[in-house]
Amino acid sequence: MSSLSITANDPGKIVLLMGNEAIARGAIEAGVSVAASYPGTPASEIGDTFSRIADKVRLYFEWSTNEKVAFEVAFGASMCGLRSIVSMKHVGLNVALDILNLASLRGVKGGLVIVSADDPSQHSSGQEQDNRWLAKMNCIPVLEPSTPQDAKELTAYAFELSEKVRLPVMVRTVTRLSHMRSDVSLGRINKSDKKAEFDWEGFSYRVAGFAKLFYREKELNEKLDLVREEFESLSFNMLKLNGDERLGIVGAGLSFNYVVDAVRRLGVENNVAYLKLSSSYPLPENLVGRLLETVDELLVVEEVDPFVELHVKGLAKDFNPSLKLYGRMNGCLPKEGELNQIIVGDAISNLLGVDIRRESRLVLEKKAREVLFERMLTLCAGCPHRATLYALKEAVREVKGDLKSVVVNGDIGCYGLGHAPPISFEDTYFCMGASIGVSQGMSQVGVDSIAFIGDGTFFHAGIPALINAVYNRHNIKVVVADNQVIAMTGFQPHPQSGRTAMGKPTKRIMIEDIAKACGVDHVEVVDPYSLGKAKEAFTRMLKTEGVAMVIARRICATEAVRSMRPNRPTPYVVDPDLCIGCRICMTTFGCPALTWIDDEKKAVIDKALCMGCGVCMQICPQEAIKGSKVS
Amino acid sequence: MDPLRIVIAGVGGQGTLLASRLIAEAAIKAGYPVKIGETYGMAQRGGPVMSHITIGEASSPQICPGDADVLLGFEEAESVRRGVTYLKRNGLALVNTRRMPPAEVVSGMVKYPNRDILIGLLSEVTNRIISFDATALAEEAGDPIATNMVMLGALCASGVLPFPEKVIINVLKWNLPQRYHSTNLKAFKLGQTAVQRQIDNNNR
Repeated sequence: MSSLSITANDPGKIVLLMGNEAIARGAIEAGVSVAASYPGTPASEIGDTFSRIADKVRLYFEWSTNEKVAFEVAFGASMCGLRSIVSMKHVGLNVALDILNLASLRGVKGGLVIVSADDPSQHSSGQEQDNRWLAKMNCIPVLEPSTPQDAKELTAYAFELSEKVRLPVMVRTVTRLSHMRSDVSLGRINKSDKKAEFDWEGFSYRVAGFAKLFYREKELNEKLDLVREEFESLSFNMLKLNGDERLGIVGAGLSFNYVVDAVRRLGVENNVAYLKLSSSYPLPENLVGRLLETVDELLVVEEVDPFVELHVKGLAKDFNPSLKLYGRMNGCLPKEGELNQIIVGDAISNLLGVDIRRESRLVLEKKAREVLFERMLTLCAGCPHRATLYALKEAVREVKGDLKSVVVNGDIGCYGLGHAPPISFEDTYFCMGASIGVSQGMSQVGVDSIAFIGDGTFFHAGIPALINAVYNRHNIKVVVADNQVIAMTGFQPHPQSGRTAMGKPTKRIMIEDIAKACGVDHVEVVDPYSLGKAKEAFTRMLKTEGVAMVIARRICATEAVRSMRPNRPTPYVVDPDLCIGCRICMTTFGCPALTWIDDEKKAVIDKALCMGCGVCMQICPQEAIKGSKVS
Repeated sequence: MDPLRIVIAGVGGQGTLLASRLIAEAAIKAGYPVKIGETYGMAQRGGPVMSHITIGEASSPQICPGDADVLLGFEEAESVRRGVTYLKRNGLALVNTRRMPPAEVVSGMVKYPNRDILIGLLSEVTNRIISFDATALAEEAGDPIATNMVMLGALCASGVLPFPEKVIINVLKWNLPQRYHSTNLKAFKLGQTAVQRQIDNNNR
């Protein structure tokens, strides 16, 4: 819907943009030439946007195999003088850390912008890591937008800054900003006509000499001083200070909005001074100092760690040693989880001693929670992973007897929901590719396990671990739940898809070919929609000595239905005369399309939800489920 | 004007996001600043989803508990879950009575609460509840997926929006593929009529 808006070269036009779209637009306005990413919530829509419009605005975009490679692609273009951007979710930066550190130490040529989308409160992540620490550790300036408009402007500015000081620059967003939409006023699109040319003097040991290029810590520190100087007068930082306020507030990035709304709601606009902070590293110490030396008390509001707060605590020693500092460190704000208007408003009203009257709904909410279900996360109707896990469970039961005789090490993807009932057949998952690695340690000490990994994740980080298993003679079993897309983050393609992010046809790199080339002892591919065959394949895998792999290949049901629109699959039906109400389909398989008619004590299939996979038909012991099986 | 705050509650896959975007696009066309905050976590399909829309001056994407003028509930239980928290006292609740039982209900672990209990909870916040089977109306229009268009029509008929119907209809036509227009417009009209009828009955 927004592709038209995003590519419109119509300065001043007001359009509705998501935070992530605004970041992409900012890069386009800045004349970016190369963009690379690996999908991950809450960052995915940045890449999705580039993917949709790359051809139209003549930039290159790719979904790289992982974040480190994406970073390197962007860095390569930067060394040749072109502007490039790399975006990822917070934990993606852990993967890219190796090159991140060197890109800042050695410097860049064309502006290089890193977008880190952090996820306070773990809406869709295993942790709420604050990547401003990683930026600081690696001497990378951090810009933190508050709104989609800021996100666009700051991204464009990040390219300028990056070129000016020859450092990569991080634009740090959080879920609430990335997924927020608002009216954004567009700027001019500046098309770069720069010719790519490798910067020999800047990067070539052969030309510039080893000594000049290799030891650059001093130069790096000097660059950071320059950036700090620039941030002192950055127009995106805004200080509201009359001079007679007792309380000051620093609001960094998105959380500044909570400060503005809370102050307005409490009617204390004239009682507090505040700083909207858009550059959290390096901190503009004099600007912050002006606020510090004026007020008696200071509240620091930020997502999610006390990153600015800690620095302010140090600064107070110089600017105002008697300052009382409040924030996440002293417990005035919670130490973990994202903030909101209420939390920030309560903190401000406590500090000012202002009474806020708010109707409490706690009793009513508790009553509602008591009767309402949670609506637990579950695999979609028709999801091939459900069938894969079902067949695997059957095979384990048959070969090993006890389901607890193996640890199922899952990985990052939709199939992480395999732990949920009624399938309940997944034990651990950590980070991309870890399933194959940790299974080897377990196997080495005599604990049986199965590594359960998705196709996208296999390409991202599974391959080195698989080679390790073969090389070091680990006796492990690997299931690749291959649904042919990176489904969880929005159906992005990957190296086996046969098409690139820009929709160009390309070679399909098959997982079974990689496995065979790695020396895996036993590899087979099955369709999990054929439960019997899948179970037989898993049985053979479990009985193999050495490294054995089954690739359960069937396209994501949601993607399949998406691509057949406006047509719909033919739903299966339950024959009420044959259904005896045993509920086996629901209690052992649990597809969301199966529902229960309490009055009749019979199962029924929701025709709007049924994806037509026909797996439930194979499970029903009464043969009460009918339909035409899809091929 | 004071900002208009709308909370949309539903289940992943129901098209709540599209509905919120259409409302926001219409607000922009009518010259208002607008913010949408989304909460959807890891749900592709079937998880609880919520959109907050603020039309008018505001900074945060999220609406404060107890501040929503309107609850647009796409699913019965989700309407109650969000309504008891976000709807302001005597705010307007437009509720689709169609149920989407979650996995724990389907697999028999818990029961879907009955309607009287659910609506009773919502009634502790407001007596302005308009409930109807929006999905049945979407089916009548030709596709249950058009439930979101029925709900948009309902919102429009409730008279809370600060812009006329034609703004939102134009946005709908402009943003959605032409092959869906007739179903969508039909669904929109059915939602509009359903709510108009209830308002007329209440006024009688």
